[in-house]
Order: sequence, then C-alpha cells, then structure tokens
Amino acid sequence: MAGHDVVERIDEGARLRALDALQVLDTPREERFDRLVELVKELFRVPVAAVTLVDEDRLWAKASTGLPVDEMPRRDSVCTVTIERDEPLVVANLEADARFNAYPSLLGSGLRFYAGQPLHAGDHRVGVLCVMGYEERELDAAELRLLRTLADWVEAELATENELQRAAVLQRALRPRSVIRLPGIEVAGQCLTARHVGGDFYDWFIARGSLHIFAGDVMGKGIGAAIIASSVRAVLRGAARFISIQEAFTRTAYDLDQDLGDTSTFVTAFGACLDPTTGRGQYVDAGHGLAVIVDSEGVPRRLTSGGLPIGAISGDQWLAHDFVLSSGDVLVVVSDGMLDFFETLSDALEALSELCDEDLSAQQLVDEITAFAQRRGPVDDVTVVVVKRLSG
Amino acid sequence: MAMQVHTSTIGDATVLRCEGRLTMGTAPTLRSAIDSAVTSGRARLVIDLAGTAFVDSSGLGALVSGLKRTRQVGGDLRIASPQEQVRMVLDLTNLDRILQPFDTVEDAVHDW
Repeated sequence: MAGHDVVERIDEGARLRALDALQVLDTPREERFDRLVELVKELFRVPVAAVTLVDEDRLWAKASTGLPVDEMPRRDSVCTVTIERDEPLVVANLEADARFNAYPSLLGSGLRFYAGQPLHAGDHRVGVLCVMGYEERELDAAELRLLRTLADWVEAELATENELQRAAVLQRALRPRSVIRLPGIEVAGQCLTARHVGGDFYDWFIARGSLHIFAGDVMGKGIGAAIIASSVRAVLRGAARFISIQEAFTRTAYDLDQDLGDTSTFVTAFGACLDPTTGRGQYVDAGHGLAVIVDSEGVPRRLTSGGLPIGAISGDQWLAHDFVLSSGDVLVVVSDGMLDFFETLSDALEALSELCDEDLSAQQLVDEITAFAQRRGPVDDVTVVVVKRLSG
Repeated sequence: MAMQVHTSTIGDATVLRCEGRLTMGTAPTLRSAIDSAVTSGRARLVIDLAGTAFVDSSGLGALVSGLKRTRQVGGDLRIASPQEQVRMVLDLTNLDRILQPFDTVEDAVHDW
C-alpha cells in the first residue's frame, strides 16, 4: 500500500464504536446545531457550512446550510480525507487539487474552497466542522483558531446535552476573539469561572481609532449572573462603539435599570478607551476599583473614582477620568475574585508590581496571574485583562 | 455554616445583627429579615456587622436592596461595626457612598 507517510493508523472499528456511542447518527435536526452552522457560515462569510459525521460508508450531516444533500457516499467526501489527520484540512481550490478534482459530489457544484476541522469523540476523529465557498481562498491563523474554537464547541455539543456545559461554551464564545493589532500595544485577557459559567466578563475592541477595554463582575455566581453579564457586555459593547465611554456607562445603566432592579442585582465594571499612538485615554470605574497601572519602575497606581456599581441606585451617572499609559506601562484590570488570595489590597498590589517587574508580555502576565489563581482554586470568578504599552 | 440574624430594637430603629459570613448562600436570610422588618412597618434599619468577617457581592446585594427597600418607604438602612474585609469591599465598590459605615450601632442610630 502506498501513502504511508505520516498518516497515523486509524483503528476503524474503535472509531465507529465511538461514533455510535455519540448516538447522534440519523437523529432529527436540532436547533442548537442548525444555529451553529448558520453562525459558522456568517463568521466565515461562506455559502456552505456543515457538521458532518463520517460513518462506515457514508458521510452524514447532522446540520448543514447551503448543501443540497444530507448524505453522500464516504468515498466522495472531502471530509473523509480531513479525519485522516488531527489537523485542519484547507483546500484553497478543489478543482486544482488532484486529490479531489474528480469527486462526483463536487463536479458542477462550483465549490472550490474547502476548510474542515476534525471533530472528536474521545480520542477518535468522527466527523468534521467544514465550510465551503465558490471562490479560491486560504485561511489565516486567526481564522484557523476560530474554526478550531467552533469545532471545540461542536464537539462539546455532540458529547453532551448538559445545559450548563452548553452555557459555559457559549459564554466563552462571547469573550473577545479578535486579536488587537495595534503598533506598540499588547492586549490579553482570561476569565476563570468557579462554576460552569459566571458573572465575570471582559471585552475589547477598536472603535473610532481607540482601543476599548471592559471588565465587569455581576453580583452573585452561576447561571443567573452569567445571563446578566451577557446583557451588560452586549449593551456596553453596542453603546461604546458610537458614544463616549462615560455616556456608554450611563446608557447601559439606563437600559438595564429594570432588569437589574427586578433581580436586585448590581454590576461592578471598569471601562477604558485608549488612543494607541499617544497613550492618552479615559476610564470609567463603576465600583470595580481594581484597575491598576504599573509603570516601568514597578510603581502601581490605581485608577479609581467615586462611581457606584451599575444598578446600585437608579438614574446614576458616571464621570470619565483621564489617564496616560506611558511607554513600558501596564494596565491590569482584575475582578474581586483575585482579592480572595490576599489579606489586603496593598498585598495584592505589591504582588502585581513584582510580577510586572519581570518584563513579561501582556499574554505572559495574564498567564502568570491566572496560573496563580488556578493553583489556589478560585472560589469566585477571576478575570484578568492586561494592556501593555511597549517601550521604545 | 449558616449565618444567623438576631433582631432587636433601639427606639424607632431595628437592629439586625448578622453572625457569620454574609455570602450568596446566606444573603437570602438577611434579605428576608429586612423584608419582614419593613413589612411590619419598621423601616429604620441598622445592620450590625460586628460578627461578620466576610461579605461577598451577593451579601452586598442584600444590603443595597435593603437600602432601596427602606428608602422607598421613607426609611433608611445603615451599617454598623464593619470588620476590615467588609470595609475594604465597601471602599472598592464605592458603596460606602450610599452605605456609609458607622463605628457602632449607637453611632448609627444617634440622630434617629
């Protein structure tokens, strides 16, 4: 037999048993998968997206959009090739690829571009999350990561119907995925939840030329806090794209007044916008109190204000304050879950200064801080967002 | 460990003394104690936190909603004798602006 190269030997019997054990084959359509493929289609701006399972002699789609059939012979499917390796398969132009250009399923379809990420059941590759398009195309690193993240989501969906687990994956999907590419600026963040889901959130995006970051903490824990958190995040994100962060906070409190009042909930939040070229920015602190700039000498200064948490009283307003992130400065925002590990606030600040002194990248700082929290096992949600202005 | 709420009165004021951690699990106990005080027409409340070493965000939520509840009916809610952690979270969240802590229960009720 030819083609040994690096393709690992697949135990087909065990693979089919793992596929069977999912108990998904030939089940009716489900909204959770249908919505997911629609989302994938939108995210990748393609006409075709599908969750396919590779059965003994056929390819079967649990969900698909833009495909005329839900089933085809296995030997005619590109996905069959995808699951041979534990990595995404990207074919820029199927017509120009000798492996696929004679597939009856593709002839006359006009489809050229294919990208598929294998889906696992346990250790076995049982299916593929794939997208297809009419135009020749490659995927960049960020798109490959996105495909992988979405495939992780599909795998979790395939493996379980546990609603909380579904909520957890969705909440992770709501975290900022975009990598901020600004000269001289690094941004990174992470959120550990004490339960499947939690009330912490963070966000970042560029609007009107400024980097915007947000971190917040909804009172309470678990699914209730998570639902409110996703609302607050959405309203803040929507507002801050078009109006100042000061107005965005007041607007968010106004929009959510009834929701927060009815549930007797409040939200602490910090938001900042930063001009990436000058390092000048404005922040709003709504009772969050845990945003710190550590300068290149390791000296911390807290970005505080007298602002109350959102929802603490009705009709409240917030004031933005100016700040400067100089070269070499690091802005760190954490949630109060982090404080549980320290006796006092100044102990926490001291630990942070020492860490920032090591000249780590924003991502390394986030990794260090979350590893610290993980070692102690968070009892509350712990969120970290770091913005670093590189020196020179 | 369950938190206990002991109710007593000083003149017009009702003192709710919390014994134990005021957290997501125990906050409902305080909420319902506040509720029954307000329902029975007593809207000047002092929450005595001398016996509470720890308050989480849900505990703060119970205090804030108690404050709203009492103010709606023309009363008020004040905090007495908070320990260090409680002072810290009140300070961090700026909630001490609306939930100003008093050193003692007597201080809290002095002008009622």
